[in-house]
Amino acid sequence: MKLRMILSLTIVCLLSAFLLSWVYKTTEPKIEKDKAGKLKIHLMETAFPDAFEYEVSTKDTTFWIAYDSLKKTIGKAKFEEIIPDTLWSVLDTLGEQIGIVFKVYPKGYGGPIETLVGLSMDTIITGIRPATPAEGLKETPGLGVKILEPWFKRQFIGKKEKEVLLKKDGGTLDAITASTKSSRAVANGAREGIERYKKYLRYQAIE
Amino acid sequence: MFKHFTEGIIKNNPVLVLMLGLCPTLAVSTTALDALGMGVAVIFVLVLSNITISALRKVIPEPIRIPVFIIIISTFVTIMDFTLHALSSELYGALGIFVPLVVVNCIILGRAEAFASKHGIFTSFLDGLGMGIGFTIIIFLMGAIREILGSGKIFGNIILGTTFAESPVIYMILPPGGFLVIAFLMGGLNWFQQRSK
Repeated sequence: MKLRMILSLTIVCLLSAFLLSWVYKTTEPKIEKDKAGKLKIHLMETAFPDAFEYEVSTKDTTFWIAYDSLKKTIGKAKFEEIIPDTLWSVLDTLGEQIGIVFKVYPKGYGGPIETLVGLSMDTIITGIRPATPAEGLKETPGLGVKILEPWFKRQFIGKKEKEVLLKKDGGTLDAITASTKSSRAVANGAREGIERYKKYLRYQAIE
Repeated sequence: MFKHFTEGIIKNNPVLVLMLGLCPTLAVSTTALDALGMGVAVIFVLVLSNITISALRKVIPEPIRIPVFIIIISTFVTIMDFTLHALSSELYGALGIFVPLVVVNCIILGRAEAFASKHGIFTSFLDGLGMGIGFTIIIFLMGAIREILGSGKIFGNIILGTTFAESPVIYMILPPGGFLVIAFLMGGLNWFQQRSK
């Protein structure tokens, strides 16, 4: 009886593992392609939502080399303080840099709100894009999730660092009714991201 | 035999009568669309796991049946997660967050233990389908009621006028609203059943 128990559990586990690895292998290329495609669409939405042809590059080597050398000169802790969490550069069709997109994780009501922020070269916001609930947004359904509504995201476009504050805090942005905490998180996250990016630009200028 | 199918819908409704799967019913019913998505995901996994478990019921030794059930259920959930993502990225965007939640839905393990491990393949299929539909009806009702009162919308379209949609009963889409609605649904079903006796 004992042997039978061990055998049947082992067989079920093995079958399940084989089946799953087969399904994983067959679906993986499509899933990866889908993820990469989505990231690109998200970056494009954030960089210049209504603009001309351009390319969002994740493989801009010169940019990353400059980045790495900066990390070495100023140390990791300082680097993390001045650089937004993840950064992509936006290139036009000739390969000239015309903006950047970075990702910040401000703390909202239910957890961190993963937000992409696009900036032009003169550090004016070109667009923002918080993650959707399917991508891990944990704000209250029907309330905090309204940070995804187009009117809320649109009001960030064209704003400078100092204007990215809720009206309640002395800025120019309307908050969502009954979701001030989520609205404030996105606004402050975007502004802090710009501040850190500007610090990075100053460091770069000194070098 | 057909009664195995209809039982899950009213008489033995998994949520309101058997009190199974209360957690997803309360958590994923803030909008009608989310609720429907959760319901469809549960139907799919419940039917497949019921069929498999019923087919294997004579091979699985009694003392280790629960771990075997759990492996089978989570295998189906994972397969569904991958396939859905590969087949349609839009559908995955809408349903993706609910798929992993299906594995902890106790209706599925409950039916595997109470029904599929003791009945034939076809009756287990009917039971799974009936229970799944019963679950979907209730979670969809909850979602619709909570969305209408809590956001003034249904499937994202404004009803009850724009004034209401601007200041709806936010309480209804917060957790306490879920408990309130499910209590009314349970009371309503009991009242209906006692009256028809």
